[in-house]
Amino acid sequence: MNNQLSLQNNLYPLLLKEISDSPATLYYKGIWDEHIFTHCLAVVGSRNMTQYGKRVVDQVIGEVAASGITIVSGFMYGIDAQAHKAAVDAGGKTIAVMPCGIERIHPAYQEDLYNTIQETGGLIISEWDGDSMPAKWTFPKRNRIVAGLAQATLVVEAGLESGSLITAAFAKKFGRRVFAVPGPITSEVSKGTAKLVQEGASLVMGADDILAYFGKKQRMQKNTVRQKSDDPVEQSILDTLGSDVIEIDWIARKIGMPVAKVGTALSLMELRGVVSEENGKYYVN
Amino acid sequence: MLIKVASALHMGLETMKVDVEVNTANRGLPGFDIVGLPSKAVDESKERVKTAITNSHINFPMQKIIINLAPADIPKEGSFYDLPIAIGVLSAALDFAVPEKALFFGELSLDGSLRHTRGVLLLALFAKEYGYEQIFVPKDSANEAALIPEITVYPVAHLADVVEHLAGRIALQPITVSDALPIGEIQKAEFDMAEILGQEQAKRAMEIAAAGGHNILMVGSPGSGKTMLARALPGILPYLNNTESLEVTKVYSASGNIPAGGSLISVRPFRSPHHSTSLVGLIGGGSKPQPGEISLAHRGVLFLDEFNEFPRSVLEALRQPLEDGQVIITRALRRALYPAQFMLVASANPCPCGYLNHPKKSCMCSMREVQNYKKRASGPILDRIDLHVEVPAVEIDDLTEHRETHYKGESSLEIQKRIQKARDTQEERFTHEPIEVNAEMKNEHLKKYAQLSLEVEQLLRIGANKFQMSARSYFKMKKIARTIADLDEKQDIAIEHMAEALQYRSKMNNEE
Repeated sequence: MNNQLSLQNNLYPLLLKEISDSPATLYYKGIWDEHIFTHCLAVVGSRNMTQYGKRVVDQVIGEVAASGITIVSGFMYGIDAQAHKAAVDAGGKTIAVMPCGIERIHPAYQEDLYNTIQETGGLIISEWDGDSMPAKWTFPKRNRIVAGLAQATLVVEAGLESGSLITAAFAKKFGRRVFAVPGPITSEVSKGTAKLVQEGASLVMGADDILAYFGKKQRMQKNTVRQKSDDPVEQSILDTLGSDVIEIDWIARKIGMPVAKVGTALSLMELRGVVSEENGKYYVN
Repeated sequence: MLIKVASALHMGLETMKVDVEVNTANRGLPGFDIVGLPSKAVDESKERVKTAITNSHINFPMQKIIINLAPADIPKEGSFYDLPIAIGVLSAALDFAVPEKALFFGELSLDGSLRHTRGVLLLALFAKEYGYEQIFVPKDSANEAALIPEITVYPVAHLADVVEHLAGRIALQPITVSDALPIGEIQKAEFDMAEILGQEQAKRAMEIAAAGGHNILMVGSPGSGKTMLARALPGILPYLNNTESLEVTKVYSASGNIPAGGSLISVRPFRSPHHSTSLVGLIGGGSKPQPGEISLAHRGVLFLDEFNEFPRSVLEALRQPLEDGQVIITRALRRALYPAQFMLVASANPCPCGYLNHPKKSCMCSMREVQNYKKRASGPILDRIDLHVEVPAVEIDDLTEHRETHYKGESSLEIQKRIQKARDTQEERFTHEPIEVNAEMKNEHLKKYAQLSLEVEQLLRIGANKFQMSARSYFKMKKIARTIADLDEKQDIAIEHMAEALQYRSKMNNEE
């Protein structure tokens, strides 16, 4: 039997009811708990997520989700999927709104994430029954639900032609708050967010900006104290890294040490969880 | 009158004796026939031999001549029975004796001179093993045979010379082991490592790979220097030792890849087949099994540029040779074993457009495209590659600005010295083992030669868990750590060696 909920149902999310063309029926997977809709933040962004985007999502969304705000997104790879993951990893709840029929997993290779979302008390939602394919027109339709479910929409990285801007436009139209994460103006996927800021979106510099909007207590500041190490090599690596993402060759060059030594130190630091590596570049956790 | 002349045939790297039996009879119509499963090339030998004898100003006997190549049930191929056939025919006609403990081998030209023939080294090895004392081979190929000092090698320039020699009128000078055997040559590389700016970690990975004979995969955007690194590799490879040299020369001799007048191959082979290479071209094969690129790269380097562009079937075929260090090619009629102990150097782009994670350019590929691209090399193949290293894009400005201060890389010669030392250590270590380098170690060898202290084992375990390594990767790390310790001239594998080894783990699978 399909899980579905009509517009007339008392459990139908109030925020979504408010919008002009709320879907008549919502199909879903997972266990429907109306409390999940109390505080919702929509997180959208580019499919071509950069390392910067990933770090922002991991840090900001992790913190937001951990304080009990539901993360709503579109289950696409890139920022969307990363937002779902960050929410799940932080022990929070997340809702994925699908651009296709409820029976279809799109993209299919994210099946693991699809299951995890449900197992951790989250929901998969679609306004379409069956296993219909996503089409060009279903994505913007889906976006109105993403924006409609949430009190605010956060755009992490978006190109100028990005679907994320459509979601942001919906949020604006519904009178919801739009947050945008600044990025380097040289990056293609920061141009959309920069434009949003120009048009009056709230600039986000950390989870606090979002938590404040939801009236949540700001959490303890972490990472304020710089990591310290007793080992001189590790210390100079930490100093060099600072808050940057740097490849090993650069670190070795900067501190003037053979790359073999630096690699040894980085391996040990990574195993202790002090630094992380992504695509050959390192950063302090 | 029946004359027997000894010769040989090659099947892969194996050699078999072939008796060339020549019978001349005065009865019946004059004729000249070859029996004993001759191929087209052998059958045409009749015309070459006849013409060569006539052009050597010797009268071709007007008799009924039957040649039998025994054993009669094995197909004979190639043109090198020309010489034994001619000697057999002339021995009967001119009445000189053919020495018993001698092998004859070589293709005749129509003017009676002998042409460079493949497989002469194998013939000499065969002669030594089966107690032949002399071999007669074409002059251009004699240098190969001269590598085997136990036998007397007669370089033959012209058919008439052998005849005169056998008839006792002149004495051919046997070739002596050339005192200037080119051992310990340094291969010339297109680039010196010092010319490659930046890429410190990739260079270090190359050094480790070359020292321990490990396979290595480089992933990086176009123009980051992957190909350059690979082309610089020959300059830091350790010297071939004598055993290795002979092994390599055997493969090259059997496949006719030694030029006329050439001798021992003394530099490590470096093969870089294009990605359109067929499966047979890479692995070896054909109805007469020929060695493929992997065997021609034996004891050397097989460089597969644009690794992911090779057809999947071709890459998958590498699995078994990578594991066994040899390849057995079986065809309906024949079976040949070729050695294939090579060091695989592969380079790949991170995605079809090449700019995934590039600092400046944006990647145009969809997630699906990237995933499909990565899937082209399967897990088992990647698992058999010991070292994985990222070759990041280098920014031009950095290269020019800090050129002097920041990028003073070592020259290939300096690196080669370190590698040679590490290789010597390994040679000593494996004196009583059938292997040569760390990369070849199996579990039993790891237990003996790559003992880990509790502390180091612990570190490896933590790393294996954190990075989700397969069991094979786990052992790979031990091998790499062994090589790093060798480069460091340390007997025991220490924490720092293992920690560095972890840098070169496979990073392709644990994304997502």
